[in-house]
Amino acid sequence: MKLHKFNIIVLLLIAPFLLLSCEDFVEVEAPDNKLVQDVVFSSDATAKSAMIGIYNQLFLAAFSNGERSSVTLLAGLSADNFRNINTTNIVRMEFEQNQLVPDNDSNLDIWSSAYNTIYMTNAMLEGLHNSEAITPELEMQLEGEARFVRAFTYFYLVNLYGDVPLILSTNYRENQLAVRNPSADVYIQILEDLQIAMDLLPIDYINEERTQVNKFAATALLARVYLYLEDWEQAETLSSQVINETSKYELLSEVNDVFLANSKEAIWQISPIGGGGLITNTNEGSIFIIDPIFSFFAAIQLEEEFVEVFDETDRRYINWIGYNEGIDAYFAFKYKIWSSTEFPIEEYSMVLRLAEQYLIRAEARARKGDLSGGIEDLDVIRERAGIALVSESNPGIVQQELLDKIFEERRKELFAEWGHRWLDLKRTGRAEEVLGANNPLWESTDLWYPIPAEERMKNPNLSQNSGY
Amino acid sequence: MKNNYGRFKIIVLISLILLLFAVTLQASAGNTLYVKGLKAPQKEIKGAVTDQQGSPIAGVAVYIRGKSSGTVTNLDGQYSIRAVPGDTLVFSYLGFQPVEIVLEQQDQLNIQMEEDISSLGEVEINAGYYNTTRRESTGNISRVTAEEIELQPVVSPLQALQGRMAGVEITSGGVSPGAASTIRIRGTNSLRTEGNYPLYIIDGVPISSIPIESSSLLSQPGIDPLNNLDVNNIESIEVLKDADATAIYGSRGANGVVLITTRKGADMGTSLETRLYHGVATVPARLDLLNTEQYLDIRRRAFENDGVEPTENNAYDLVLWEQDRYTDWQEFLFGGTAETTNANVTFSGGSETTSFRLGGSYYNQGTVFPGDYNYRKVTGNINLNHQSRNNKFNLNLSANYGTDLNNLVGNVSFNANTIFLPPNAPAIFNEDGGLNWEDWGAAGLDNPLQGFFNNSTTQTNNLISNIGLSYEFLPGLQFKTSLGYTFYNSAELRNQPRRSYNPADATTNRSSHLSANRSSWIVEPQFIYKESIDKLHIQALIGATFQENSNLRESFQGSGYASEALIGNIGAAEDIINASRGNTEYRYAAVFSRLGFDWDKKYFINLTGRRDGSSRFGPNNRFANFGAVGAAWIFSDENFMQSTFPFLSFGKFRGSYGTTGNDQIGDYGYLDAYEATRGPGGLYPTGLANPDYSWEINKKLEGGIELGFFKDRFRFSLSRYQNRSSNQLVGYPLPYTTGFTSVQANLPATVENSGWEITFNSLNIDHDNFRWETSFNISLPKNELISYPDIEQSSYANTYRVGHPLNISLLYEYTGLDPETGFYAIRDVNEDGRYDYQDWVVIHDRNREFYGGLSNNLSYKNISLQFFLEFVKQEGSLTSFSAGTISNSMVEVLSSVDGQGPLQQISQSLASRTASRNALNTIFPIRDASYVRLKSLSLAYNLPRNLTETIGMRNAKVFLHGQNLITASSYDGLDPENPYSVAIGNLRTITGGLEINF
Repeated sequence: MKLHKFNIIVLLLIAPFLLLSCEDFVEVEAPDNKLVQDVVFSSDATAKSAMIGIYNQLFLAAFSNGERSSVTLLAGLSADNFRNINTTNIVRMEFEQNQLVPDNDSNLDIWSSAYNTIYMTNAMLEGLHNSEAITPELEMQLEGEARFVRAFTYFYLVNLYGDVPLILSTNYRENQLAVRNPSADVYIQILEDLQIAMDLLPIDYINEERTQVNKFAATALLARVYLYLEDWEQAETLSSQVINETSKYELLSEVNDVFLANSKEAIWQISPIGGGGLITNTNEGSIFIIDPIFSFFAAIQLEEEFVEVFDETDRRYINWIGYNEGIDAYFAFKYKIWSSTEFPIEEYSMVLRLAEQYLIRAEARARKGDLSGGIEDLDVIRERAGIALVSESNPGIVQQELLDKIFEERRKELFAEWGHRWLDLKRTGRAEEVLGANNPLWESTDLWYPIPAEERMKNPNLSQNSGY
Repeated sequence: MKNNYGRFKIIVLISLILLLFAVTLQASAGNTLYVKGLKAPQKEIKGAVTDQQGSPIAGVAVYIRGKSSGTVTNLDGQYSIRAVPGDTLVFSYLGFQPVEIVLEQQDQLNIQMEEDISSLGEVEINAGYYNTTRRESTGNISRVTAEEIELQPVVSPLQALQGRMAGVEITSGGVSPGAASTIRIRGTNSLRTEGNYPLYIIDGVPISSIPIESSSLLSQPGIDPLNNLDVNNIESIEVLKDADATAIYGSRGANGVVLITTRKGADMGTSLETRLYHGVATVPARLDLLNTEQYLDIRRRAFENDGVEPTENNAYDLVLWEQDRYTDWQEFLFGGTAETTNANVTFSGGSETTSFRLGGSYYNQGTVFPGDYNYRKVTGNINLNHQSRNNKFNLNLSANYGTDLNNLVGNVSFNANTIFLPPNAPAIFNEDGGLNWEDWGAAGLDNPLQGFFNNSTTQTNNLISNIGLSYEFLPGLQFKTSLGYTFYNSAELRNQPRRSYNPADATTNRSSHLSANRSSWIVEPQFIYKESIDKLHIQALIGATFQENSNLRESFQGSGYASEALIGNIGAAEDIINASRGNTEYRYAAVFSRLGFDWDKKYFINLTGRRDGSSRFGPNNRFANFGAVGAAWIFSDENFMQSTFPFLSFGKFRGSYGTTGNDQIGDYGYLDAYEATRGPGGLYPTGLANPDYSWEINKKLEGGIELGFFKDRFRFSLSRYQNRSSNQLVGYPLPYTTGFTSVQANLPATVENSGWEITFNSLNIDHDNFRWETSFNISLPKNELISYPDIEQSSYANTYRVGHPLNISLLYEYTGLDPETGFYAIRDVNEDGRYDYQDWVVIHDRNREFYGGLSNNLSYKNISLQFFLEFVKQEGSLTSFSAGTISNSMVEVLSSVDGQGPLQQISQSLASRTASRNALNTIFPIRDASYVRLKSLSLAYNLPRNLTETIGMRNAKVFLHGQNLITASSYDGLDPENPYSVAIGNLRTITGGLEINF
């Protein structure tokens, strides 16, 4: 009986011990291939990686990758530069004919990839905010970069959809019921982010590449935002800051060099390395170029009405527009490489470049009444293109005429880049006049893309744009 | 974190110290207990041991209970042993019921042993942490023993279980050796496919039931984690089904538990067992397809009907290709014969205190596909059992090691592209053995066997080992602990040589590499206490589990090898791409207990409980409690029953209710984690983290009755179960403004599985020379998604329907043949001019209506015959029932030649193809696909004992075995086991062999 008692005592002693030890035992460390958010922002090296990750993902994100659901392609189709060859592709036809329906898949891709990018920037900003471990200098730079990418993404959302939810945190419980904020509020946030980014970002590029933004990228984007907000003074000041940075930026006289990786005209580019190196061509190259042999892959051609806008001597017509005899089609040929797996990567996808800054300043000056200043800037672009200068051919041009010249120049200079034509038509109020003329189905509500149907199913607080 | 290991070590150490301390204590205390027996003088006892027919049995272990002395009977069944009156003599021999006799004053003791007919009381059933018997069990446990599975020529033991257990549905992963089978115990509980795996426990050690990833031909089902077990070395497989049986496994028991017990050493004596069989396997069925003449005739009619001129582009089979060529593509693709060889050697022995078993096996299976490929497996196992003389201390060690090498053809499989090739299509190979690109290219096609020279080699190594220690402190109180360790490595290389592909393509010699490692350890200390107070018997068990699993996965691809011979030698690759590496860790801790009470072995109550902690859940939800209560009443032991129904030898009511959980979700879902981007140097957040998600809860209710008639010659059982899985873990859909589409969360969705299970066993004839035993099981399952709030807004909106089973197809409504076009027509329900998911109005249940098996064992003198029939009642779908396009069809389409019959007009037009594709998604192609299959048949002849003994063998047997010999079904598809696809589940195998035991 003594033994019996002894055993029971031992049992009683050991049992609670077993229970207690369970609690800690089932904690596991994160696996090698995953880093917990806290860990990511506990060192300079990993925090930097999180920012590089955002740039890498921009090459995969639908809205920014230049591929089938990119702003470049879809907003281009919405305007009057592109024609869709594959007429069985209903998703694309809806963009081309301005007959979008709320469950268009590509429309959802733009929306979802943009908000995923915004999530990444918010996570970055929260991580930096909550961490004490990052070197102050680096923290400033990273915050500037993240704010830049966030502002950049909201710029397209607000211009494609109008009012959109302004998401500034990673808290999904709140964000899943977000309402649409007035576009003015979204612009206030864009301005704030870009101004802070200008203050925080370094003047020089962080490495030899132009894929990570510096102060002038923020300045350039801010100049564009002010142009859109019709603050001509600010638009002129800021674009001048970029244009005056002549040691960094110049208009390349050889137009075929403009879209090369890290060209001196580039202010910010996205590198195909973000795809992991499986392909080393830009998506713009593969989607726009009509290969002489594999022309059956062709998806997009240039509208002949658009091609006819160019003078035959225009270097851009000669070099940036290709022609495929087999299917009798013009195509955008800014990027020369259709398909490549070679290193080093020759072409990067252009996001911001100096030519646009000249056109921003030209327009701002012209709007202000500084016509000679406007002509001067416009002629910089025309001179590079090798066409007649306005100062010579039409020095007495009146304001509206000059503005029309500038708009036409924007169309010719910036086609097949980031939907410039669509956004320009919209902001200058000419969309209805220009697009409605050739499209019997045009309605004024077509100016805004619909809020994706799937999104509204999941979030009852999201209202729809009118006309859908 | 290091702290955990520290604590863990302390626990192990304390357990061991406690054990050693107790052993010493007990050893000193125990010495006194044996003194009294020594007083009487020893004398010699002699005798003979015979079986029921009076034949002597050699090798019977004879020993005295509680003492070290023992002996074995000789060839004439004679023995002699020294003992004293009052000693208990024990006679034991495998396959016979052990006999115990208390010695009186006799010198001579002849024993007749009875063969062990698995009768209710004696056979111990493994219930995991404890053993029970059929008679006393309060839960529902199905059992299959070695005799039923050992001769089956299969790679994984799971395949051997098809149809043999009520409530257990197993579908084969296909004819490639090593493919993972799908097992569902009492239906589909979770909305996530990966949430439906049961728990596998081998000799007390849990192993992951998730198939191993592969990039070879096995990529779809994955590799079965049980492949490396030797089917011949399995003593029994128990499947735990209801709450009473599974609740002790807590969060891992929701989908049932498969317990595999390997064989143990013999009680006494030494034996050597050998078995060898060899056979051939073929694909058992073919589709009935058109021959060249019929096919071309149909094609010409199609163009006539459409009024279209055949050209090189739209009719290369009519214009370009030879008109009298004929290839039976099925014969070409899978008409081969796979040779199968299996060899086993086992050496076992034992004394009164120690027994061991040492075994090895070799298994080889060829391929039915063209080419020289095979699967080879070598296993080794050891089992060692030692017991102290006073029976208080026990040590058991078991280790199962297996390695296999699976060499698979790269790119040949059953699919519509290859089986349905036009019968007059050109040759696949050139005369030089290379792929023929020219003839196919002329028609603008790639060779359909592009990739033919690809191949893959998958090598796996698997160890499952366990040490169990137990010590009985006091009569009734036992301490036990098991220490288990497992590892599983697989390394795969897939070669894609340049010559497999069209010379016009810009590809190079390539290789894919994939390796996966899994390892785990487990420690389970337990106390077991037994007490009897009057007629009340108490069994108590309390224990704890500590388990850790680690997984590592690495993969990459190499390309640009200069020559085919260098493929796989990564030093010679020009580029290494897509490299990835990931590891996961899973920790699990639990305390569990069981309290079993019975009164007079008539009224039973069984309470089980478990508190579980799993690292798969967020910090707020790591722990949960599970429990069950089971009860049974053996009413046949009541006096009034015995007097009223004397023929009723056994009657039991039993019932149970309880909860189990399911933690089979990915690891780390609660972490706010970043992973590497595809582009170099970057990290990005991969998803939203929910620190609050928790277990799926499965509530199981069961009731049953078990009856035995005429001394249990006829046994019957009926069970009714109703299981509800709620708190379903799903990706909860979120709007994209949150950054992602969903977050892992629990939803109040509920899935119910209910059904009836009936088993019946009878000993039809039991004469001296002739014996016939039959057993039968049938399951009638029902599955229903009971509720899913807001399913319309979830990603499952077009997969599941509330009020219907999970396994359904959503179909268009078939409206017959369009009188204008003569093509199949479906209804545009919402009349929007489009056929899309909004027109899916017909819900078709794809589940089996019922299934089961019928087994017969007959023996006459030295001959025995076993056969097993599997039967399934279900529906299935046919795939090829429209004619006219460039692909072969079932002969059934000949009936549409004259425009009669249910099939659409012969046509090659786009409209006809669209119509037949739409018709495929209606109930039009649904047919009865029920089948009865002669799953296995074994015929054995035991050589007469007097003959074998003269040449020194204990016994010898020759046997013939057939697997999947005949399938009876009205279904015209390839295999009714896969009624919704063109795939074969199992090969037909015929083997012959020899078994010799010394």
